[in-house]
Amino acid sequence: MALLAVVVLAAPASAAEFPLSHGANGRCLTCHAQPDLGTITVDGERKSLTVAEDAFHQSVHSRLDCTACHSGFRSREHTVAEKDGWYEQAKLTACSDCHADQFAMYSGSFHGGLVMGDHDKRAPSCADCHGSHGIISNESPGFRETVLPMCEQCHEEKAGTFLDTYHGKSFRMGETSTAVCTDCHGHHKILPQSDPDSTISAQNVAGTCSQCHEHASSNFASFLVHVDRSSPKSSIWVWLMEMSHSLLIAGLFLFGGLHCFFYFYRGLREGLYHRD
Amino acid sequence: MTSIDGGIRDKGAALEPAPQVAQATAAGHTHFRRFSAFQRWVHFFIMVSFSALVLTGMPLKYSDQAWAQRWMGIIGGVQSAGMIHRFAALIMVACVISMLGFFALILIKSKGHFWGPGTMVPNWQDYRDLKAMIGWFVGRRSRPHLQLDRYAYYEKGEFWAASAGVTIMCVTGAMMWYPQLTTRVFPGIALNFAIVNHSGGALLAMGFVVVFWHFFHAHLRPEAFPMDKAMYAGGLPLEEYAHERPLEYERRIREGTLDEVLVAPVSETRMKVQNVVWWIITGAALFLWAVFTLFVVWVGSLWIGSF
Repeated sequence: MALLAVVVLAAPASAAEFPLSHGANGRCLTCHAQPDLGTITVDGERKSLTVAEDAFHQSVHSRLDCTACHSGFRSREHTVAEKDGWYEQAKLTACSDCHADQFAMYSGSFHGGLVMGDHDKRAPSCADCHGSHGIISNESPGFRETVLPMCEQCHEEKAGTFLDTYHGKSFRMGETSTAVCTDCHGHHKILPQSDPDSTISAQNVAGTCSQCHEHASSNFASFLVHVDRSSPKSSIWVWLMEMSHSLLIAGLFLFGGLHCFFYFYRGLREGLYHRD
Repeated sequence: MTSIDGGIRDKGAALEPAPQVAQATAAGHTHFRRFSAFQRWVHFFIMVSFSALVLTGMPLKYSDQAWAQRWMGIIGGVQSAGMIHRFAALIMVACVISMLGFFALILIKSKGHFWGPGTMVPNWQDYRDLKAMIGWFVGRRSRPHLQLDRYAYYEKGEFWAASAGVTIMCVTGAMMWYPQLTTRVFPGIALNFAIVNHSGGALLAMGFVVVFWHFFHAHLRPEAFPMDKAMYAGGLPLEEYAHERPLEYERRIREGTLDEVLVAPVSETRMKVQNVVWWIITGAALFLWAVFTLFVVWVGSLWIGSF
């Protein structure tokens, strides 16, 4: 199956040459294109089993057989063994057949360690970041916009502080060339700051900044990117400066506001606005 | 000079006519020129660049708001807003530099006398003026006729606040413009401080200029409403000026320098053109005042809501 997939990818094939329903895909979609196909998981949660047919058709994988990824599924009504095999193992490694390099990097990453080492179901595997059936190329327009919502699912606080930086603000304003999460933290091999190999480790962070900011020094990289201005725990100095600014603004606006208001009020009462 | 009520004269106290005034009037110089052409042009460029800086900077500060995103789209996105912002900043810096040169010239000409009447340096008279005004505001006394020299307390206060503000905005703006250069000398947290100061300073400047101070005193102050023409037209009727700034008037008569600032009034046609422009500026100013007052009220509600 791996061999087949590689051959298919290598050929300069268009979607027209390999229509969606080629091979066995039509048979799978007989059931899985139904909009209300679903099941109840062992945790008691509803899980949709519907494949978004249009999205799959437009995805970079539209030429692949369903079973190229969903290996192990053979029978018409999937056996428990087939399903367990998929969820416990094949789902996590399905991509490695074609994307071996990326998978190797991911396996060594913090996320990969959580998924495959600690069997932590909350940590992301390939499809959690890239999507599954509707997967799009990382070069396609709109891909960069999907990064933040993806990371935000777990790193909500970091997303909030990112949006308070120039990077985040301009990104939100439609300037997609500014840095998003993956530009600094890497993608497949994301490692914690404490790891020397991390893109944001003490040794590497200046180099990471200098991808965009030429001649960025370690001083430059010590800028607090994820700082919550409203929290003294985030950075006491930034918080103190923010608070003193707020008080200065409030005080001056109060004084100015009262001065203007009373000047206006007295002027009005004494008819000073009357003009001949 | 005799004065009533600790230096605050009562409304309508008459001034003695001076022979210099009669001379000047005879020569057709019936108007007082408060600001030189240089000062009026600098004011114009500050006004334009300040507006451009606010309009391109504020949407970034409030980037999570729908209005900000819409407005950013209209001005062509972050890149173009950044270009306009930096260009306007250069105009502002040029204004600051030319004003510093202007002050240096005054300093040289007046042989080091940088303070005293007629300058921006605050004195006790300003304190007495402010005290009298507050007394009037709270109903403890009748309306004072301020003993104003060239600059009133509210103009001096604004000048120093704006000077401090523009310095902070230029320095922090330059730090963010050249972050690599900045961090050759300072640690990275200096850039965090720069952002906080630039962002807070912008709100402070905008609120003070547009809502709480400058617009009010130039347009909505009872004596000036709908617009104080001094910065715009360059010449005001002498009687009007002698009434509003008696100390400068009397000082100039005493020093014999009144003729330095007396000019002939502008022609009828020019006055008509001026009046049209004048009403356009006034209308725009009052409209902006209303918009930004609402904006500041909204910011205030955000601030209060954050606790």
